[in-house]
Amino acid sequence: MVAEMSISDPKIIAFCCNYTASVDADALKAAGLVSENFELVRLPCTGRLEVVQILDALDNGAEAVFVTGCLVDECHNLTGSRRASKRVQYVKGILEELDIDPGRVEMFFAGRGETEPVVEAAREMKGRVTGMEPIHK
Amino acid sequence: MIAGSNLEYVLSSGEFAVTGELGPPKNGDFDVVREKARILRGHVDAVNITDCQTAIVRMSSLAAGLIAMAEGVEPVMQMTCRDRNRIGMQSDILGAAALGIKNLLCLTGDHQKFGNHPHAKGVFDMDSIQLLGMVKDMRDGKRFQCGEVIKNYEPRLFLGAAANPFADPFEYRPVRLAKKVDAGASFIQTQIIYNVDKFARFMEMVRDLGLHEKVYILAGVTPPKSLGMARYMKKFVPGLDVTDDVIKRLQDASDQREEGINICVDIINRVREIPGVAGVHVMAIEWEEAVADIVSRAGLSARPEPRGIEPCLISSGTIEEVVSKAEEQIRAELEKQVDQARTEAAASRDLVTKEKEKAAGEISELKSQLDRLKDMADREEIKQKQLAEELAKTRAALEKARGVSEAGMVCKSIVEPQGVAAEAAPVSEIVSGEALSLREQRALQSINKGLEALRKILGLTEDQLEALKSFFEAEFLLHMGEGQPAAAASAVPEPPRVQIAEPVPELEEAVEPAAEEVAAAEAEEMSVEAAIEEEAPPAGVAEEPMPAGIPPCPPELSPDEWKRKWVVRLTARGNVLLHKREVQEAESAFRQALKIDPGYEKARTGLERAGKREAVPEVPEEKPASPEAEKEVAPAVEVEELPEAPVPESEAAPPEEKKPEAKRAASLAVEAEGVEISTLELAEEAATLMERAGSIPQDMIMEPASGVIQEVVIGDGEKALTVGGSSALPFHLFEGDMPNSPRIAYEILDMEPEEWPEPLMKYYSDVASDPVAWAKKCVEEYGAEAICMSLVSTDPNGVDRPAGEAARVAQSVVDGVDVPVILWGCGNADKDTETLREVTNLTGSKKVCIGPPTDVNYRTLGATAMAFQLPVVAATPIDVNLAKQLNILLENLGMSLNQILMDPSIGAAGYGLEYTYSVMERIRLAALTQQDDKLQVPFICNLGREVWKAKECRLPSDPLMGDQERRGIMMEAVTASTLLLAGGELMVMRHPKAVSLTESLIRGMM
Amino acid sequence: MIIAERKPMQEILGMTAGMKKVLVLGCRGCVAVCSAGGDKEVSILSSALRLGRKMSGEKIEVLEETYVRQCDPEYLEPLRESGKDYDAVISMACGVGVNFIADCCRGVRVLPGVNTTFYGANLSSGEWKEMCAGCGSCVLHLTGGLCPVARCAKSLSNGPCGGSVGGKCEINPDVPCVWQGIYDKLTYLRQEQNLREITPIRDWRPAGHGGPRRRIREDLLS
Repeated sequence: MVAEMSISDPKIIAFCCNYTASVDADALKAAGLVSENFELVRLPCTGRLEVVQILDALDNGAEAVFVTGCLVDECHNLTGSRRASKRVQYVKGILEELDIDPGRVEMFFAGRGETEPVVEAAREMKGRVTGMEPIHK
Repeated sequence: MIAGSNLEYVLSSGEFAVTGELGPPKNGDFDVVREKARILRGHVDAVNITDCQTAIVRMSSLAAGLIAMAEGVEPVMQMTCRDRNRIGMQSDILGAAALGIKNLLCLTGDHQKFGNHPHAKGVFDMDSIQLLGMVKDMRDGKRFQCGEVIKNYEPRLFLGAAANPFADPFEYRPVRLAKKVDAGASFIQTQIIYNVDKFARFMEMVRDLGLHEKVYILAGVTPPKSLGMARYMKKFVPGLDVTDDVIKRLQDASDQREEGINICVDIINRVREIPGVAGVHVMAIEWEEAVADIVSRAGLSARPEPRGIEPCLISSGTIEEVVSKAEEQIRAELEKQVDQARTEAAASRDLVTKEKEKAAGEISELKSQLDRLKDMADREEIKQKQLAEELAKTRAALEKARGVSEAGMVCKSIVEPQGVAAEAAPVSEIVSGEALSLREQRALQSINKGLEALRKILGLTEDQLEALKSFFEAEFLLHMGEGQPAAAASAVPEPPRVQIAEPVPELEEAVEPAAEEVAAAEAEEMSVEAAIEEEAPPAGVAEEPMPAGIPPCPPELSPDEWKRKWVVRLTARGNVLLHKREVQEAESAFRQALKIDPGYEKARTGLERAGKREAVPEVPEEKPASPEAEKEVAPAVEVEELPEAPVPESEAAPPEEKKPEAKRAASLAVEAEGVEISTLELAEEAATLMERAGSIPQDMIMEPASGVIQEVVIGDGEKALTVGGSSALPFHLFEGDMPNSPRIAYEILDMEPEEWPEPLMKYYSDVASDPVAWAKKCVEEYGAEAICMSLVSTDPNGVDRPAGEAARVAQSVVDGVDVPVILWGCGNADKDTETLREVTNLTGSKKVCIGPPTDVNYRTLGATAMAFQLPVVAATPIDVNLAKQLNILLENLGMSLNQILMDPSIGAAGYGLEYTYSVMERIRLAALTQQDDKLQVPFICNLGREVWKAKECRLPSDPLMGDQERRGIMMEAVTASTLLLAGGELMVMRHPKAVSLTESLIRGMM
Repeated sequence: MIIAERKPMQEILGMTAGMKKVLVLGCRGCVAVCSAGGDKEVSILSSALRLGRKMSGEKIEVLEETYVRQCDPEYLEPLRESGKDYDAVISMACGVGVNFIADCCRGVRVLPGVNTTFYGANLSSGEWKEMCAGCGSCVLHLTGGLCPVARCAKSLSNGPCGGSVGGKCEINPDVPCVWQGIYDKLTYLRQEQNLREITPIRDWRPAGHGGPRRRIREDLLS
């Protein structure tokens, strides 16, 4: 039964801006996460992120997607992370319409060069999707 | 008085008016409305019945208003624009007026978003101001919104509107109020007033505009039921200004309801002081009980006695009262009756005992009488037995006698003397109409049998026989008319077979095959001979002496008539005898005839012929016989004028060639029948419509048209035809004028027809290959008034004759005849354009009519027509709208409507005629009665081609379908007559006889 | 411009249920400008559709294309044949496009990807507002250029109803009362006379109540 299938090792894709992408495999490992399950997409600014990219990520293998951008008032490009946040919100709306848990996508904000919030975000997203019905069976 | 409502009376009397408000329930509970009405009754002058207030579905204001009215409360029916369009609203307005509603408050209505059906489509066909205008115009202008007249019973309603002094833009509010007054409002009810100061400022502006003198303004007030309600209104009801003062008063009050009433009364007292306020409108929504209190505290409780309330429903209270009264009455009546019955019963009991005693005495008396009678009866029985024995003896004796004598007649004469007497009675005594008709029938039967025999001998076809039969019947009837008195002799004719057998061998020998003749003689013989030979002179009937050999004159005829008939009869008999070669008898018959009437020509010639031993006159006798018969059945035979009607050559034809003979018979039948149709129909026109209508008023039977059909002229010179121009439905000459009678054009083709059936083709076979000769034949021989030439040869799918060539042919036809010519294209839009353009180049401004432009080529063809000012045929496929559209398109092009003939597309009888008829009828009705000027164009009906391609015109003659030609003629004539009745002005037809039938119909109808 | 918005995904999933291959067809006309059916929205819808189908375990092939316009026959020409390769074509053009494909491309099943909503203007990025109802008989010369038919909740012709307070419409405080606007504008333009005159009942036939509408310009007809 489909309903009985659940995710144990979810693939998670992260879209990070240049300033919040300081996380690496070691940091993830240090946090007790399997680094191979994470794919990090580095963007110059999350303001460049398109709605369709998030959807395609989910469509192409990710069980969850998160975006990390600058703190709202400290964005290097002023409004980039705010825009990204709205787009993530829009994607959540579409997921809801599709009966997919909108918690599979999330926007996180982090200070410049900070690793911890990004690692936390990764942990958070893994926790969220573990146990959920997989998109990719 | 506008409507005579109570509210109107109160307001116009200058009294300070009070109106209330009643919200109908959200269900169908009659009693809720009744209760609310009762609570308000006597405290207000009228009550607003809300129309689904705040867009919540409730009982309709009209229904609830009627219930209120039944309770003696005058309703002000509210009507919003939210839920109905102008059709529904006007309908409800008429209904309301019919049911006695006299006040109408016109509102735009709350948006449906606020109600319990926010998903509904808001109608808003108009707004409140437009609604006021519409109702006012219905009332004063007697017109529906569309402009149509309301003939009578226009809705008389006293119109009101709402105004909100607290909505924005504040300065604009009085202006908008003025618009409402201009549109038709007689009274205004305002939004709930709490902010009296602002209302006073509003009224000041109203007075500045002079509106207070044009309209009664009722100030709206509402007692706040609670602090909660006041706060809710302040916060959530847009356009409602609840002041802080009101909130505070309620906050401070120990009894909020009491305070609410006080607030309301205070407001009333304040607004009363404002100049221009004519009354108050108390809206105690769901708190109707408060109204009485408010009104009395405001010192307004003395309401004027209501006037003008005319409930159409009866209040249930009234019903109960009436019922209980009636019950009481009935009970009293019953009790009285019971008492009376009791005393009567006692009295009759006494009577019964007395009667019983009396009856007992009578019974014993009767018993003794009965015994006596029984004795008598016994004695009678014995006597009867004796008689019976005697009778038996007599019978035995008689039986014996019968055995001895062979003639049982003796016995019979004893037993049934009466029956014999009846049989023996002189035949002449039986003189009755029945005998006469019997005789006729037998004679007819004999004729039929005789004909049957003839048919076998001569090998006639069914058709020929049929023709002969009808001919003989006519002949026979004719003679019967003369020979009626012969009925006095009720003799049965001799078996006819014997008589018919005689002439047969002669006929076989005869060179003359005219079977009619022989049979005519037969018919004569039958009726006449029988009459003469078996006439039994009845004794004592004649009152006037008659010449020898003539029976006495029957009472219903004058002696002269009687004599004449006898002469005719004797002469006929003579002819018959002569024919049988019984010359002497014949001579004596002729002599006898001449003795009575020496001047009778036929008898004399008969005598001469007998002297020369000639047989019955041959050719000349036949001719007079048939036209005579025709004339009797059908006077005015126009068809006779046609060249092929008389068939002299058939007479000379040898007996083997019976075909033309039969054809002639068939055509005769057609002629007779056709003319019979016209004469029968037209005879009824003897009395005019007005005479027949009797006392029915004219306006009930007449519906005169308001439009006139255009007159279109086709052709030029003396022979030009004008069609159209009528101002009445076809042939409704009692309603209007039909200055130009419908016309008929003969259709010709520009090449030899390939598929015209023989009975049609034979009229044109000599000219079919030459269109000019053809057209000339139609004009010169058949009297055509117009020619319609179909340019069939140009059809690209057929011969595809080049346009230029076809145009030259058309030109020669146009030049060759002096009547108007219509040139009808092949139906291919492109080719028609090309051909007709070529034609007009050649014919110039000669007024040929061209067509048909369709929606495809109207531009090019229309331009061509315009260039030469030619009339055109506008063809559309059986559709009112398309027809109109094409007319409009042509008109837009610059053509005048009096250059257009509409071709609605024709279906022959049995092939969609009813469809064409209906479309033409609708077009004509729109043109005449709905002022649809784009349809006021005459019709051209190209029907010949439709009729003659029908299967019915192509199948050969057979016993079931009858003669082919006759069938075709009738098909065409019937189609044409139907189209005439639908309004057709110009018929295009093919068969000359159908044309002449149709012409006679037109003549008769005009 | 014509404003539209994407239909809810459930509705689109419902109408494509069981289909194996669809084309999401965008339009670079109005719907692209109002971000409802241009290239970007085509890719979003396609992706969402794939994702939705993935969740229910049914594969679907979604192809993407965007035409210059879908309301002119020449642009639809290629679709006449290619459209038959799909179980359905989801048009993200306005209803005109959907209809026109249905009319022009026989044998192609077309589905609407958007709800066509109104004729509006782009107030600012992401915000559009109705300005015209296409009613066929314009009265804007009388109303200071502001349309009471499209912009009044009751399409009133003769001034504001009693629910106009503080320049707002009674149906929603976010909605301005257009009659307040008309009043202000006409007062400013010194055309108050227009406010005093009664506007007669409207003929709604040009608004489509007389049947489907059609326009012909003779000089352009071929």
